[in-house]
Amino acid sequence: MNVRAQLVMVFNLDKCIGCHTCSISCKNIWTDRKGAEYMWWNNVETKPGVGYPQKWENQDIFKGGWQREGGKLKLRALGKGPTLLNMFFQPNMPKLDDYYEPFDFDYSNLYKAPPGSDQPVAEAFSQISGERIEKITGGPNWDDDLSGSQIYAANDSNLEDRTLVEDYGRMFMQYLPRICNHCLNPACVASCPSRAIYKRGEDGVVLVDQEVCKGWRFCTSACPYKKVYFNWQSGKAEKCIFCFPRTETGQCNACAHSCVGRIRHVGVLLYDADRVEEALLKPDDQLVAAHRDVILDPHDPKVREAARTNGVSDQWLEAAEKSPVYALVKEFAVALPLHPEFRTMPMAYYIPSLSPVISSGGDLHELADHGTFPILEKMRAPISFLASLLSGGNQEVIADILRKQIALRLFKRAGNLGQPVEESILKNAGLDEEGANRLYRLFTIAPYRERNVIPTQQREEQDSCQRKGASGFGILKKTRGPK
Amino acid sequence: MLNSFIFVVLPYAALALVIFVTPYRYFSDRLTWSAYSTQFLERKTLLWGINPWHYGILPVLAAHFLGVIAPGPMKALLGNQNRLLVFESIGLALGLFALFGCLLLLLRRVNTPILKRVTFASDWALLYLLAAQTLSGVYVATYMRWGSQWYLHTAVPYLWSLLTFNPQLEYVTDFPLVFKLHAAGAFLIVALLPFTKLVHLLYVPFDFLKDPPILYRWRSKGSE
Repeated sequence: MNVRAQLVMVFNLDKCIGCHTCSISCKNIWTDRKGAEYMWWNNVETKPGVGYPQKWENQDIFKGGWQREGGKLKLRALGKGPTLLNMFFQPNMPKLDDYYEPFDFDYSNLYKAPPGSDQPVAEAFSQISGERIEKITGGPNWDDDLSGSQIYAANDSNLEDRTLVEDYGRMFMQYLPRICNHCLNPACVASCPSRAIYKRGEDGVVLVDQEVCKGWRFCTSACPYKKVYFNWQSGKAEKCIFCFPRTETGQCNACAHSCVGRIRHVGVLLYDADRVEEALLKPDDQLVAAHRDVILDPHDPKVREAARTNGVSDQWLEAAEKSPVYALVKEFAVALPLHPEFRTMPMAYYIPSLSPVISSGGDLHELADHGTFPILEKMRAPISFLASLLSGGNQEVIADILRKQIALRLFKRAGNLGQPVEESILKNAGLDEEGANRLYRLFTIAPYRERNVIPTQQREEQDSCQRKGASGFGILKKTRGPK
Repeated sequence: MLNSFIFVVLPYAALALVIFVTPYRYFSDRLTWSAYSTQFLERKTLLWGINPWHYGILPVLAAHFLGVIAPGPMKALLGNQNRLLVFESIGLALGLFALFGCLLLLLRRVNTPILKRVTFASDWALLYLLAAQTLSGVYVATYMRWGSQWYLHTAVPYLWSLLTFNPQLEYVTDFPLVFKLHAAGAFLIVALLPFTKLVHLLYVPFDFLKDPPILYRWRSKGSE
């Protein structure tokens, strides 16, 4: 048993209102720079939709992630030899048009424009070339709220029945906030010929060393989530840093901190690093179970002993015990990895959202026995859609979680109305009263320090020579080009 | 005068710059150590420019180096007239291939507006210089035949004399102007190397080939 600690974020999609506050706070802190205008380390997508960059989920285009080949994991894109032969032109790299040409508006025209009969306007210009843009044709959330659904949402690769977005009565949407998943088996790390990308041992954060990166660009396509970006100004790769300067001091990530819906949970997971590869070799529909299997119980004395020998501090073990992430991912098993079939073992987990109840009459919805929620098969968001997104196609895993969420609501509803609670409802969903109350608290009224349990990095344990020069992003050093 | 400038001043100046500026840049400004790819902004023309350029120029460059490092075996290899003919033809073809790529890259920089913001004086200097260098190389290969053979008996001993700080110009002074321009271009490129994006030449990913796929860095243990 090789126990390591990982900082993990859980997103409760049931509560996400798609306000993009997380994206803005991330952008203000990290990517409001030249060369990074188009980067959204945190972005929010409308599902169904093609996302950002467009069609990132389609690995036939970008060749991201891993695949099983002869009992081993191999990068889908290129082996080591072909990587070296393709250094000059990277065949799978997403291009600017797959994201969008970043733009701003020339506000100075509002007061500089000569007198005329028309009201002056702030014209759009490209933040790359500086040229005027006649017509903006893309943005980081261009298909927000199903806009242009027949062009965008209809091309969502998770959607089995494409007519769904055309039928007003059956249409559905939900939001998907995304950051770098800080995977346990990161394809970006494996694809880097310069060895510039690494996983931090202490907290599992995946970082690009800006001093080592030579700009060979393989990471940008190897990441199946397209969460490594190429800075066209510095000629190097950049990605979400899990706000490590904040988490190291116990503060919450900017995106999670600013989330108005409080949908995010940050906490520690302990996992067995020796079993990651074996877990990833399982067939697609068993991957969620394999994920959960790799995650270890922080209360188990054996696990704690093994963690201590690996240098996991008491403070981190305590945080792991209190971890809301452990509760959601393993204990209640309500949070799922995004596209586990990409086989990078992503460490951001999503609680699938319940569909809205639109109509309890007519033939659109058929209510379940308890008479409040539609039966699972008639839910607005098809289970097959959620399964394709979050469980490698395993619909039973999704149904289990939806049943838990429904049972929880029925239980609390009955409590609020002072009605007797049918015990079988909780029991059939695999919950008990105490668990249901804990889950309810986590989902609703848990305060900041319960939703986020982030242990600090104990740099005082290191000697001063190691500490010096071992932190910071280095953006104060000059990069090429006009300032 | 021209001879001593091209064959003594230029090479030593270039050598000094490479030896002193390269480590200085490596230690003081590593954030600029990049290949500065522009594929993200423009890729259609790049494909047909960058691949012919690299795949053409790298073998030719390697052949130039091999001649300096191992003149004996090279002489033996090229001693046979048939082999010489084959190698000369391959060399010329690769040179033309590289020239095609380089000119395309030059035209691409001229004709693509979005590249304006990522194109600097150093990019123009390099592109023109490399195009001129490849052109003069192709000219020498075409009109001064069997260069791969006479190179070993003239330029190579001259280069060795440079390295031993005893420059013997008589090996090269009688060549026509185009050869001297080719030599001057080469030294200029070497001189520019530490100041431009050409530093990406100084990196060969050996670690990548032998390392396990996932790289960890521990603050306590270093990388693993």
